Amino acid sequence: MSDNHKVIGRSVPRIDGPEKVTGAAKYTGDLKFPNMLYGKILTSPHAHARILSIDTSAAERLPGVKAVITHKDVPTLKYGLSPARWDESIFCSDKVRFVGDKVAAVACLDEDTCYRALKLIKVEYEVLPAALDFLHAMDEGQPQVHEEYARNINTEIHQEFGDVEKALAEAHHVRTDTFVGQRTYQSPIEPHSAISMWDGEKLTIYSSTQSPHYFQHYIAREFDMPMGDVRIIKPYLGGGFGGKLEPTGLEFAGAVLAKLTGRPVRTFYDRAEMFAHNRGRHAQYMEITTGVDKDGKILAAKANFIMDGGAYTSLGIASAYYAGALLPLTYEFDNYQFDMFRVYTNLPACGAQRGHGAPQPKYAFESHLDNVAADLGIDPMDIRIINARRPNTVTPNDFRVNSCKIKECLERVRVMSGWDEKKKNLPHGRGIGVATGSFVTGAGYPIYRTDLPHAAAFIKVCEDGTAATLYTGSVDIGQGSDTVLCQMAAEAMGYRYEQMKIVAADTEITPLDFGAYASRQTYMSGAAVKQAGEEVKRQILDMASSMLGLPADDLDCGDGMIFSKSRGGKSLTFEEVARKHFVLRGPLLGRGSYTPPKLGGSFKGAAVGTSPAYSFGAQVGEVAIDEETGEISVVGIWDVHDCGKVINPRLLHGQVHGALYMGMGEAVWEEVLFDDKGRIKNAELANYRLLTAVDMPPITSEVVDSYEPSGPWGVKEVGEGATNPTLGMFSNAIFDAMGVRVNSLPLSYEKVWRALKEKREREEAAQREQDARREAQGRRADAQRETDPALPPLYANPA
Amino acid sequence: MYVPDFEYHAPKSVAEACAILAELGDRATVLAGGTDVLHKMKVGKLAPEHLVSLKHLDELRDIREEPGRVVIGALASHNQIYTSRLLQRRYLSLPMAAHTMASNQICNLGTVGGNIVNGVPSADLPPILIALNASIRLTSAHGERTMPLEDFFHGSAQTRIEQGEILTEIEIPDQASTGSTYLKFGLRRSGALAVAAAAVSVQVAGETLHGVRIVLASAAPTVIRVTGAERSLVGRRIDDDLLAEAGYLAAQASSPRDSIRGSAEYRRNLVEVLTKRALRKAIDEGHA
Repeated sequence: MSDNHKVIGRSVPRIDGPEKVTGAAKYTGDLKFPNMLYGKILTSPHAHARILSIDTSAAERLPGVKAVITHKDVPTLKYGLSPARWDESIFCSDKVRFVGDKVAAVACLDEDTCYRALKLIKVEYEVLPAALDFLHAMDEGQPQVHEEYARNINTEIHQEFGDVEKALAEAHHVRTDTFVGQRTYQSPIEPHSAISMWDGEKLTIYSSTQSPHYFQHYIAREFDMPMGDVRIIKPYLGGGFGGKLEPTGLEFAGAVLAKLTGRPVRTFYDRAEMFAHNRGRHAQYMEITTGVDKDGKILAAKANFIMDGGAYTSLGIASAYYAGALLPLTYEFDNYQFDMFRVYTNLPACGAQRGHGAPQPKYAFESHLDNVAADLGIDPMDIRIINARRPNTVTPNDFRVNSCKIKECLERVRVMSGWDEKKKNLPHGRGIGVATGSFVTGAGYPIYRTDLPHAAAFIKVCEDGTAATLYTGSVDIGQGSDTVLCQMAAEAMGYRYEQMKIVAADTEITPLDFGAYASRQTYMSGAAVKQAGEEVKRQILDMASSMLGLPADDLDCGDGMIFSKSRGGKSLTFEEVARKHFVLRGPLLGRGSYTPPKLGGSFKGAAVGTSPAYSFGAQVGEVAIDEETGEISVVGIWDVHDCGKVINPRLLHGQVHGALYMGMGEAVWEEVLFDDKGRIKNAELANYRLLTAVDMPPITSEVVDSYEPSGPWGVKEVGEGATNPTLGMFSNAIFDAMGVRVNSLPLSYEKVWRALKEKREREEAAQREQDARREAQGRRADAQRETDPALPPLYANPA
Repeated sequence: MYVPDFEYHAPKSVAEACAILAELGDRATVLAGGTDVLHKMKVGKLAPEHLVSLKHLDELRDIREEPGRVVIGALASHNQIYTSRLLQRRYLSLPMAAHTMASNQICNLGTVGGNIVNGVPSADLPPILIALNASIRLTSAHGERTMPLEDFFHGSAQTRIEQGEILTEIEIPDQASTGSTYLKFGLRRSGALAVAAAAVSVQVAGETLHGVRIVLASAAPTVIRVTGAERSLVGRRIDDDLLAEAGYLAAQASSPRDSIRGSAEYRRNLVEVLTKRALRKAIDEGHA
């Protein structure tokens, strides 16, 4: 690709950098309004219980309490994120379904009074048996989480493409492995909060949300208001990773409290409440079967999964579909079967965590593929290259893949990591592993059914041309979309990044955008921004054409200068042309919008996982295992991505590092733990072990030269795809180091130690047996005994 | 997070603090750095009517060298211990133990006295202090007393501090030990509580050990000394088998329980490994 771009492709500084590093940036929780009250939600202490009575009278009498509300004071309409299963209520009325389910709320003059008031609300419960183990939640006689959903089945998927049984029957080698993934939580640094206020019939909510549009839609629906009377504003936001995509209950409770008191109300979660609200990674049971030919080419794959959904649906239907739908992306095979049950349990609801349903199945598949490679004696890198997807192909489940350089990613990471050398020569206790990943570049369809465009943008050029403001509904949650979109706007306009301003994520001011999820903004919001920028540029060139007396199609504009393409000579500045435009023709505005084309097949669930483009990537990691303790030291990680044209390399590599960081945590260190009453044992940051800066290994991150023909300037996603290989990569590196597989996440030090111990014990037992046999043979004086075959690789599941 | 209401006192001297504590009895809790006390109050494990802050008692922050001993004021913060030139020169193992404790913010607030009085089995400073044969001074309105630190703990979060007493200083006597160290096994490299930990001090003479102290954390309801393992080492020629045997004996003497950080079996294994490795390190590297 020739690159004559002036603004994109450069690591310009973040547009919000100075405010953030100086602490000047205001997040929702920093905002204060005159007469603002503080609101807190009372939650259930039981995993499953019937509510017999709620007495709020003592709380209401406490000085400083301005309102106390329960299910009697709020709309009863069920809500949720997945329209097919709206199963949440603002407050529980009949029963509570997990420790943390919402029961009542208070609004008070200060935070301390809230806690006192919550203690004074008397809720009488009849405790019910709880369904806490998702592997048994479908069994006969298990407690029913929702009466409407028999056997606690929330989502059931059975898909088959091609003829799996036939392909397996004809395969050279068929293997089945099972794996179990754990619950993890996104743990954004900024706790959720919302400030709700009314002006007559109009409701304004400042919220730490990843999608003001979905909030606006769901809040308008819940309160039966026109969307135009609901304004959602997203201030600076400190991380979401999928956990802030949906209504949290804070907005609904806050809106009712604000209405009743006539005052702004700030509602918020503390760290423990964040864990209870959850919407993090589903725990998953994953059985994978593949059949391969003698070269390791995959002929068919079967995925049989069960997911722990928790007490509500959240975005879990999509998570369930994603778990299987994205598996056929990185490798080509025609025959594929996917079966899934997402079950309800009396635990916090799971949702969309970075990578959505994909990282754990990818862990299972990538671990399984290494087992297959070991069975056949094929190098793990080779078996991936043999099976690597090619560009311009269609997956068995009807996803069209345009650009795809997974093979190049693998070949490059092989060289970068010194794979071949290390595979031969790493010392005892050291190992190296590889895995691949892929992800959607924005979802092909919205979360609720609508024909609205997915993204829109305006650009307003200042009357003297010295600045241009981008108005976009897209949501910078820390990933840097405000910066990237300003670069794209400036590029399209022929303007300068340094003169761009941005107003984003305010439903009253900025045009529609579905927000920050499914890795969609650089591509989809970017497409709208590009169109808006090009509209500005057309008007600038048209104006300049009359000023210069040259035809508009001979003119171009770049870096803020308008010049003739065919002859040198006089040029004009963007500023003077823009000003003249304003004087003679009125405001200089650009508009753009983006709607994806119709995508995907026609089978049930065909829409989930569709995307106009898919990213690809390969990771290699090297680990050192302390065999006496199981401690895992990460020696280095090498990551190569195919993410299309890169708009801002520094931000891109930041996304890779961040995704790797989260993937590492999920691979070895993080797990939400529950006691036998369904209470979280580590809803805090001391024992929920997010990694720290000193735990991070050296990371080498590269991209392959890539261009996605459907995207603006050829872009694709990177923010979530880079999480997908990491879990499997760790599993494979540990396998390589130890010769033994840990089949459950997290691959904790203790599990590694135990697997090694069990391996040692097996080897010692085998040795004893061998010795005994030799002795017996010796007694028989039979000297022509062949030596024992080498021990095959061992598979252990110490979970 | 909800901190229940309390009355706050900030006496200007140890004597005044003791007088207030004597008057309030069991209604008062001493507040030093607050990293344990305030947390317990927030999660509902502690609801004292009065908090008596020691923050004005600057005389308890000193770390000083005296003839025959090093004295550490009980209010010395973890970071003060970590950065103390004196401690780095005399007993580097102690600053290094302080460095394993927590984030910088907490290490700036948390105090050595608090770490001791809190009495949890996973505390990082008591093991190395006991290995260095430290004693503590307790002060109350009735006077002062000292005791060996190793006698201070007698159950999980149970210590021998009496109502009205303030831990005022820690004393490390000059000693014949030639090396000491604290090895902690955490599940990440920073801000992790010990799954298990071992502190040792050794007195190496030629090829043998003349004296040795082995102290374990997160291995029993309290920080414990394992004298059987110590005895197995004294007077015998130092080699890997000897140290491994001491590790085995330490593991046998430990009584860890299953916790969210590790099973009892795993933690006992860690005791064995850490003890062996700590002995080797102290023998080879001195106070480190």
